[in-house]
Amino acid sequence: MDLNYSPEDRAFRAEVRRWLETNVPKQELPALEDRKAWHRRLYEAGYVGMLWPKAYGGWGTTPMRQAIVQDEMARVGAPPPINGLGIGFIGPTIIVHGTDWQKQRYLKKMLTAEEIWCQLYSEPNAGSDLASLKTRAEDQGDHFLVNGQKIWTSAGPIADWGILLARTDSKVAKHRGISCLLLNMRQPGVEVRPLKQITGHALFSEVFMTNARADRRDLIGAVGQGWEIAQTTLGYERGANSLGRVTRYAAAFHQLVRATRELRRGGRPLIEDPAVRAKMGRMFAELEVQRYAALRVLSALQNGESPGAASSITKLSYTEFEKRYYETALEILGPWGQLMSSREEFEDVDTSSGEPGTWATAFLWARAGTIYSGSSEIQKNIIGERVLGLPKEVRADRLKA
Amino acid sequence: MDFSFSPDQRLLRDSARAFLDEHAKPAAVRLLWDDPRGESEALWKEMAQLGWLGLALPEAYGGSGLGMLEAAILLHELGRAGYPGPYLPTLLAAAAIGAAGSEGQKARWLPAIATGEARASVALLDAELDWRPEATAMRAEKTGAGFALSGRKHFVPWAHVARVLLVPARAPEGLTLFLVDPGAGGLTQTPAQAMDPGTRWSTMTFERTPVGADAVLGAPGQAGPLLDALLRQGAVGAAAEMLGAARRCLDLSVEYAKVREQFGQPIGSFQAIRHKCAEMLLEVENSHSAVYYAAWALDARSEDHELAASVAKAYVGDAARRVCGESIQVHGGIGFTWEYDLHIYFKRAKALEAQYGDGDYHRELIVRRVAA
Repeated sequence: MDLNYSPEDRAFRAEVRRWLETNVPKQELPALEDRKAWHRRLYEAGYVGMLWPKAYGGWGTTPMRQAIVQDEMARVGAPPPINGLGIGFIGPTIIVHGTDWQKQRYLKKMLTAEEIWCQLYSEPNAGSDLASLKTRAEDQGDHFLVNGQKIWTSAGPIADWGILLARTDSKVAKHRGISCLLLNMRQPGVEVRPLKQITGHALFSEVFMTNARADRRDLIGAVGQGWEIAQTTLGYERGANSLGRVTRYAAAFHQLVRATRELRRGGRPLIEDPAVRAKMGRMFAELEVQRYAALRVLSALQNGESPGAASSITKLSYTEFEKRYYETALEILGPWGQLMSSREEFEDVDTSSGEPGTWATAFLWARAGTIYSGSSEIQKNIIGERVLGLPKEVRADRLKA
Repeated sequence: MDFSFSPDQRLLRDSARAFLDEHAKPAAVRLLWDDPRGESEALWKEMAQLGWLGLALPEAYGGSGLGMLEAAILLHELGRAGYPGPYLPTLLAAAAIGAAGSEGQKARWLPAIATGEARASVALLDAELDWRPEATAMRAEKTGAGFALSGRKHFVPWAHVARVLLVPARAPEGLTLFLVDPGAGGLTQTPAQAMDPGTRWSTMTFERTPVGADAVLGAPGQAGPLLDALLRQGAVGAAAEMLGAARRCLDLSVEYAKVREQFGQPIGSFQAIRHKCAEMLLEVENSHSAVYYAAWALDARSEDHELAASVAKAYVGDAARRVCGESIQVHGGIGFTWEYDLHIYFKRAKALEAQYGDGDYHRELIVRRVAA
C-alpha cells in the first residue's frame, strides 16, 4: 500500500499543468466550432481518447493518467472535451462489437469531434425498465425503418450520429427482440426537440423518429443482440472523472468557506457559528472519503482488476453524496444559496462546482445524478444481486416470461 | 498509487482472522463478558507470541517495527471478532512511550508490553466532556521527589488490568504526560459499567498521588503534540475496529437475508431489505477507504495525515453505528435478542464511537484544518 503518486505520474501531472497554463482558452467558448477546435487541441496533446487503443487513433495510456488530466482540467476550470458519450462509451462499443467498416468509418471522426454522437436508449415509458422499449426498427433488407421516440438524449441538437436501441422482434422475450443500430441524426425522419430541465436549461432532448432510415451496414452485432451489447459494461472511461469530480467539490467547499466568512449572524461570521461548523465538518469528511474511494478505484484499475458490478457502489456513493453536499451548502447559505445570478457584494456565494451557474444550479443538478445512468434504486438492485449475492426479486415481467 | 495490501499484510489479515475465528468465537467473547476481569490472559499471551503486541514497536525492544497500517489490519479483525481487551489502549501507550520515552522508560516498558507481561492504558478524558488535550484539568504539583497528581479521569479503558497508565496533567511547566502506576497511593479506581460488556472503563480519582520525576514522559510542559498524535492513532485504531464490527454485521445480515423467508420468499429478494444491505455495503466500503487511507497517512506522515485521521474517525463512527444498527433491523426481532450475536458488534462500535475524540470533536478539527 502506497498512496503516493508515482514519480512518473507526478511528472505527468506537472506536464499537463504546464500545457493547460499555456493552452486553456481565456474566455468562454459559446460557439460549437470553438469547442470543437478546443477538443481537437486536447486530442492532439494526447488528452482525449487516452484509453483507446493506438490502432484506433487513441493514446493507449492508463486510467490514472486520464484521471490526472481530468483533475488538472477541473483545477483550472478548463472547458471539457465535447464528445464525452461518444469517446467514453459509444466508440468502445464499436471497438468491441463493430465491423471493420464501422471502425474505419466512425472512430477517428468521433475522437476528433468531427462528428458528435448521442445515445438513443431511454424512452418515455422505458426508463429503469429499459428492455421494455417500444421504438421499432423494421428490417427492409438493405436498411431498417425506425419509428418511435427517445428521451433524455444529451447533445441531441448538435449530434451527427446516435447509437440506437430499437425493437426488431416483438414476438420474443423483451430482452431478446432488441437490436443496436447507428443512426444518422441528420436526416428528415429525425426530429430533435430540446427538453427544458428543472435548472431552466435544455441539455437534454427528445428525439422523434418517423420512418427514419438506418443502413444495414450500421447494425452493431447481430439482429436481436442489442440488449447484450448494451449490457456489456465497457470500462474505457472508468475512473476517468473520479479525481476531477472531487476537485470540483473541493473548489465549491472553499468557495463556501469564503462565503461563510462574509455572511454574518448574531454579529459574527457564519463560519464561527458552531452549528455551521458542524455541518461543514461533516461535508468535508464526506468529501475526503470520496477522494480516498476514487484513489482506491484507480489503484484497482492500475492493478488490472475489473470493478465490474462494484462500479455501481461508486456511482451510488458519489451521486448520493452530491445531493447531501449541495443540500447542506444551501442550508448554510440560506436564501443567498438560491440566487440564480451573480451579486457583486457576495461573489463567492454565487458560484458553483466549476460549471457555469450558481449554488442553486448545482443543488438542482444534484437531483439528476441519482437518476441518470441507472437510478440509485437500480444501482442498489445491482449491488444486492451481483455484489452481495442476494436473491433476485420476484418480478411480474419475469413471472410472465 | 497502490491501495491494495502487500502479500505480508494479506497474510497478517488472514492469519489473524483464522486465529480469532478459532480463539475468539462469539461464545468465547460472551464468557469474557461474564468474567470480572473481562479479558483473557491466555489469549493475550497468544497475541504476544503471534507478535501482535509488539507489532509497531521498534525491533530493539522486542517489536516488529511495523506501523499503523498493520495495526489497523489487526484492529479490523479484532473488531470483526468483537474481541474484548486492552489491545488498542496498550498499543497507544506503547507508541507514546516509544516516541517520547527516555531510554530507561523504553527499556522498562516496551519489551514488557511486547512479551505480553504488561498491559497499558491511557487516561484521556478529564472532568469535562472535552477531548482537546488543552482541556486537561488534572493538576501536577511539584514535590521534593517529583510530582503529586490531583484530579479525576473518566472512562479510562481497561485500567484494572493495566500495569502503567498514561496520564496528562497540568504541571507548573504546562501540559505534561506522566507514566503512572495504577497501584500508586492516593489513587482510587471505580469501575463504570458500560453498555458494552466488552468495554471496561474506570473512573480514576487522584488525591495527591505521588509520582517520581522520572515518571514524566517527554519534556515537562510539552505533552500537547504527543497527545495530539496519540489521539490520532486512537482515532484511526478505533475506526479500524469499528470497520471490522460493521463488516461483520453486514456479512451476518446478508447471510440471514438469503435464508430467512417471509411471504414465501427469502427476505433478501425484497427491495426494502436488498437496498438496505446495498446501503450498508456502501458505508462499509467507504469506511474501508477512510480507515486504510488514514493508517497509511499516519505511517507516511503525509501532509494530510492529521486531517485523514479525523476524517476516518468522524466518518466511520457514523457509518458503523448505522450499519450495525441496520443489521438489527434486517434481522427483525431475533436481532434484538441477547442470544443473537449482533449486539456484540453494535455495542462495541457504539463504545468506540465515543472514544479517542467523538464525531463532533473530529469534525471541529477538520473545519479548523481546512477553514482555519
